[in-house]
Amino acid sequence: MAEYKLLLEHSHDPLFKTLAGYKATGGYTALPKALGMERSAIIDAVKAAGLRGRGGAGAPAALKWGGMPKEKKTQHYLICNADEGEPGTFKDKELLENCPFELVEGMTIAGYAVLGDVGYVYIRGEYMDGAKALRNAIDEAYAAGLLGKNILGTGFDFDIQIHMGAGSYECGEETALMSSLMGERGMPRLKFPSAPFPVISGVFEKPTLIHNVESYCNAPVIVNKGAEWFASLGATTKNSRGTKIFSVSGHVNKPGNYEIEFGTPLRELLELAGGVRGGKLKACIPGGSSVPVITAEDVDRAIIGYEEMSEVKSMVGSGGCMFFNEHTDMVKLAWRSAVFYANESCGKCTPCREGTRWMVQILERICKGGGRPGDVEMLRQVASQIDGRSFCPLGDAAAWPVLAAIRVFPQEFEYYCQHGKSMIDSKPSLVGVP
Amino acid sequence: MSELLQIGSPNQRPRQPRAEDLKLNFSEQGVKDLAALVSHYPNKKACILPGLWLAQREYGGFLSGEAIAEVAHRLERSYAEVQGVATFYSLYNVAHQPGRHKIELCTCLCCHINGAWNLRDRLVAKLGIRHGETTADGMFTLEEVECLNACDRAPCMQVGSDYYGPLTEESLDALIEKLRNTEESTVVQYAADVVKVQLRNGEI
Repeated sequence: MAEYKLLLEHSHDPLFKTLAGYKATGGYTALPKALGMERSAIIDAVKAAGLRGRGGAGAPAALKWGGMPKEKKTQHYLICNADEGEPGTFKDKELLENCPFELVEGMTIAGYAVLGDVGYVYIRGEYMDGAKALRNAIDEAYAAGLLGKNILGTGFDFDIQIHMGAGSYECGEETALMSSLMGERGMPRLKFPSAPFPVISGVFEKPTLIHNVESYCNAPVIVNKGAEWFASLGATTKNSRGTKIFSVSGHVNKPGNYEIEFGTPLRELLELAGGVRGGKLKACIPGGSSVPVITAEDVDRAIIGYEEMSEVKSMVGSGGCMFFNEHTDMVKLAWRSAVFYANESCGKCTPCREGTRWMVQILERICKGGGRPGDVEMLRQVASQIDGRSFCPLGDAAAWPVLAAIRVFPQEFEYYCQHGKSMIDSKPSLVGVP
Repeated sequence: MSELLQIGSPNQRPRQPRAEDLKLNFSEQGVKDLAALVSHYPNKKACILPGLWLAQREYGGFLSGEAIAEVAHRLERSYAEVQGVATFYSLYNVAHQPGRHKIELCTCLCCHINGAWNLRDRLVAKLGIRHGETTADGMFTLEEVECLNACDRAPCMQVGSDYYGPLTEESLDALIEKLRNTEESTVVQYAADVVKVQLRNGEI
């Protein structure tokens, strides 16, 4: 298998960022088609296509689309989550920068299907290149009557606004993102204003459809090529359909975004990225820093799919796939990961706020050579007491990488505690840095 | 590894000016832009984040107590509420007036394994400042930040609206020299860019 490019097919074409270039490659054929369809037919197509959210959790998209009220009693909002912050992931960045019209068209189709009025694209504050490209795309779409009042003469009105974040990983979590969009600190809510799901009461306490960039970008494909065709992609997997963009980085020769069909072996993704540099493969974090690390042996047998990845005790996550060579010090990596979560914990839930700091302190002690007997056990205890005890998944995401590192590479932690130094000579890992 | 990361940013809380000291310093353009931004949302509260970006542009890259008070006043929210929001997000400069250029060096996972620490040490030696500090001449502020999500370009950094990477020690030196000779403040430019992308063609 090679790359299977649905969304990134034209990403290297600079004209693809312009409306004319996008139309020349078959863009904006899905929107007129969708506007001629029954709303429920679009939602049924998304369901039949088996599209799952590409942000990390992998929930069926149709649950959200179908959950939106069918009759319009109040405003309906759409949100695009472009607050990409998961270490190792940069697929939304590429989609925003190089394929902004896919997002605009996808959101407009979704807006039509769920009776939306306004769509907010919440972009992380750092992504200026992506935001500028999307701004141009939105302005062009407005000028061509593809956004705004009476789109394509069908009487459907839809606006898209860009909302820039200001530097918070936590805002990538959907309830925290909605808090942030409402002008608050980016903290999650267990139950949004008065209902369990955003589709009933989300941002501004109105029904809200919230999806990742990549999820929306898939909507035009499904409308254009049909649900059946879409569902045939990844048919070898249990329940994962379509393609997925993986951001491959770390110790690889050709880091970048690679779009593959579900069901592709993880090993092939590594080969697409030019293989490991600076030594043999040691470990892989397949779906962004929050998912458990796996060994080289597991990389050989892992198949990319939401259910399939759990066979190697990991996840597809957001698609931020990092490979590490044999000179990588896994304890220091676990420390750096713990620092990330300690820095980004919003401070709402005590287990996460305090626990992440405790993990950093213990790991720092070990890394500085002051590890004591029992430290690893204490680390495991602290991590498992964060897991499942916070409002949002950030707490779980902080605990899993540390727990997995201890489970997969226990000897490295033990060596550190006994000898006060690493068993890995990590200097050579810098060989080949461009 | 000799020096470990500080957790959290070294925040000094901005101080609320007395009510009689409240001054409205937004430029005419700033007032217009704020009105356009407010029109994107069903209420003024939702405009706090865009409003703070706008204030960061209007107040030379620094959200002082006065800047926050003006945002609060214009959006009809309390000072405490707006300050609470401003201090939550890392891209708002609430601690002190940043330098002309804010260097945000990524040291997260992929940069960590690709030599970000060498770059950090080089910057510390070259500029004589550490995480969260500003050079005496007001030229540079250094911040070690979490993942910038440009892992294919590791090790990377952000200055103003632009990403730079993959960096080597040589290209880092060249970049610092280039920034030294850039008269314009990339910090203010960045805030201006953020405001601009949120406004539609007809609204500017």
